Amino acid sequence: MTAPSLALTDKTRPRRASRPLDERLLFGACVLVPVVALVLFFLLPLATIVWRSVTEESGGIGVANYLALFRTPGILRAVGNSLLVGTATTAVCLVLGFAVAYAAQRTRVPGKRFVAAALSLPLLAPSLVLGLGLIFLLGRNGLVSNLLGVRLNIYGFPGLLIANVLYALPQAVLIIQAALRQSDARYYDAAEVMGATRLQQFLGITLPNVKFGLLSAGFVVFTVTITDFGNAVTIGGDFSVLATEIYNQVTGQMKFGIGAAVGILLLLPTGIAVYIERVAAQRQFGTASESALPPVPDRLPMRDIPLFLVTMTLALSIAAVVATVVFASVVRLWPYRLDFTTKHYAITLSGGYDPLWTSLGVSAATAGIGTVLLFALVLGLRRMPPGLAKAVYLLAVLPVGVPGLVLGLSYIFAFNLAGTPLHMLYGTALLLALCNFYHYHTQGFLTMVTGMRAVPAALEEAAGCLGGGVLRVLGDVVVPVMVPTLLSVFFFLFMRSMVTLSAIIFLVSPSTNLAAVTVMRLDEAGFVSQAAAFSTCIMAAVAAAALAMRGALALAGRRKAA
Amino acid sequence: MDLQIKNLLKTFDGFVALDRITLNVEEREFVCLLGPSGCGKTTLLRIIAGLMPYDAGELLMGGRDLGTVPARDRGFGIVFQSYSLFPNMTVAQNIGYGLKIRKAPRDRIAARVGELLDLIKLPKVADRYPWQLSGGQQQRVALARALAVDPSLILLDEPLSALDARVRADLRTEIRDVQRRLGIPTIMVTHDQEEALTLADKVVCMNHGLIEQVGTPQDLYLRPRTRFVADFMGSSNLLPTAWVRETMPHLMPGRPDGAENAFEACVRPERVAVTPAPDADGRVIDLTFLGNIRRLRLSWRGRELLAETNRDPGVEPGAAVDVSVAADACAWVRA
Repeated sequence: MTAPSLALTDKTRPRRASRPLDERLLFGACVLVPVVALVLFFLLPLATIVWRSVTEESGGIGVANYLALFRTPGILRAVGNSLLVGTATTAVCLVLGFAVAYAAQRTRVPGKRFVAAALSLPLLAPSLVLGLGLIFLLGRNGLVSNLLGVRLNIYGFPGLLIANVLYALPQAVLIIQAALRQSDARYYDAAEVMGATRLQQFLGITLPNVKFGLLSAGFVVFTVTITDFGNAVTIGGDFSVLATEIYNQVTGQMKFGIGAAVGILLLLPTGIAVYIERVAAQRQFGTASESALPPVPDRLPMRDIPLFLVTMTLALSIAAVVATVVFASVVRLWPYRLDFTTKHYAITLSGGYDPLWTSLGVSAATAGIGTVLLFALVLGLRRMPPGLAKAVYLLAVLPVGVPGLVLGLSYIFAFNLAGTPLHMLYGTALLLALCNFYHYHTQGFLTMVTGMRAVPAALEEAAGCLGGGVLRVLGDVVVPVMVPTLLSVFFFLFMRSMVTLSAIIFLVSPSTNLAAVTVMRLDEAGFVSQAAAFSTCIMAAVAAAALAMRGALALAGRRKAA
Repeated sequence: MDLQIKNLLKTFDGFVALDRITLNVEEREFVCLLGPSGCGKTTLLRIIAGLMPYDAGELLMGGRDLGTVPARDRGFGIVFQSYSLFPNMTVAQNIGYGLKIRKAPRDRIAARVGELLDLIKLPKVADRYPWQLSGGQQQRVALARALAVDPSLILLDEPLSALDARVRADLRTEIRDVQRRLGIPTIMVTHDQEEALTLADKVVCMNHGLIEQVGTPQDLYLRPRTRFVADFMGSSNLLPTAWVRETMPHLMPGRPDGAENAFEACVRPERVAVTPAPDADGRVIDLTFLGNIRRLRLSWRGRELLAETNRDPGVEPGAAVDVSVAADACAWVRA
């Protein structure tokens, strides 16, 4: 993939013995520090969880934990339920996701911007906000039950399915839309001249060409669904799933071995998803022609009117669910007494708003540490021999294959060991920040690599030849070009860290409680309006961060243009 | 069957892309649409294919009006610059796609695919995917795909532009052979005058949505009618009337009647004869060696002239030379 190009400068240029020592030390450290951190905070926990999954209670090595899985009745049912809800969510998301992506990419259906905005809402909030909103709308004491005078039962499979679909749909749309973008108008021109009807073109060209995108979207949705924690807790009811069951086994019953075994099993679907994505990327690389013209979106009422109805319904549903949460947080008693109040913003749970501040601090740390480490890594990778660079590259993209749930579990095993030096970190906010960073390491790394590719090696060399030292070149050439990338990575890590629940749920302690966890606790304790209020605060913070990113990017862009 | 285009008009938001074009393509004829980018040649091809509507005029294929016939029912074959083979299909599936759509029986499709693979001299690639082929191979397959349905007209949209020089020359010959053998009328868009000269029975030179001149390659090269054609088809010396009258009066009889500035004399560099003579009034400014020919820049009677010769003229820059142009070496073009 991209690994060879990283080290291109070294390949094409004969190695010079006289590269200054300070330069070599700097770039060596650039790679060494992030790689050591990757080993300590990603590889080591992962190795520990593998080790724990094959360590039997007696202390021996064996598959007893895996066998015990099948004998624990709760687990078996949870696996079945997870597979059921995962498959159903995947099927629904693929159909709806394809419809939305197709409408956006290949048609002139109106309202595209609204649909895109509505679909980005779930990314701004913890997953359980959707569950919460659905309960407000369709729950036993929800708006619809109240209006119709019947008592709907949304808890369990139906609620979980809807919440998961709304949560995973944006991610499916992004992947399928990217696949649809990879096409050439000439394919359709050629088919048209050869006599193919629109339907034949769709079945013969459009669908086969997005099959990898669909496959990849399917696995991503499946994985997100079966490892998601928030919705299962809020709206799952008695319908126990794998994520909640592991949480119970580990934190409730202290069955660490079984937890580890489930964690390893959960690596399978993501592993396959990542593999398919790589294959797809290569296949697409093989077919992309430089002179490809994107297909021109057209109008076709028979297709566009149903598509418009479907996409609008979806967008409105998502917007309605999120808006309901905000609205419910400022009324006296949803849905019975709708007069305005701010009383739910007085959080009665111990600690009050402390978790929100902790979350902001942890997220800022995640973003700060992450951006610096990733920048150093990518900077150093450019100057490494190709073989080594490729190995480091692989290590850096590996975290995407590990669901947050598994990462969080593995952190318990790795850092909750008394007597080891790393134990000091256990229970600290710093470990939460690191966990979040490695959870989203791959996406940040790939963004950074793409950004670094925009820094022309020739510019750097020119600055160097003019007599600029390493730091000068960095400050004058590399950093200015990289500003938009650095901003994007920083805010991406910040926003993800604000809303994620699945990894850190295993690591929070009373002193380091996080915002997303607090929403869950408030909901569990029955303070749904307060949970809504707290969610609104999180969404406001994340939306503010998103706006700040836009502003900063616009500013950086303007300065460059000036 | 022949194709007739009458007064075809196409505008994009008020911009006139094709200004009442009239053109005939005879049976078995190879026509090249030649011109710089933006001259409307690709627009014309896409309109003929049915991929783009037109504003006014007529388009007749064997007397039948194509105006209301959608692209998929015209039964033409098309090849693009970017190959545009379906990436999800093998070579055989690509070539057979048109037949499959026409619901041809499977064994007939297989037979036809085999036949075409032999025709394009790639008998062994049937089961490969496009990305496993080189650019030249992909373009041959694209040609086979266009030929599979026995098209009544073949449309080639700069099919050779994406290929490197060697492959391009080979494929050029092959396209010509195949077209001659099958006798299918063919329209090719190109901006490469050499390609147009070697391939076409008829060259249509276009500029700014207008046809500047239609004719055989010889017509366009030896007897250009406008300054644009003279300039676009190779290099030339374009000389004002007043100067010609003064220095080469023997060229004047061929000049059509018209205002002083209406016509210019076009003299191809290879028709400018140069002979070394110690007391002559021409001077060699410089000399470029291009392999098969030598190009000289001359200064003669107040103007700079370009001359080409395939023999060693035996002069150095600065040498005095005698310059002469034969009476039949000049074409008068509209300025």
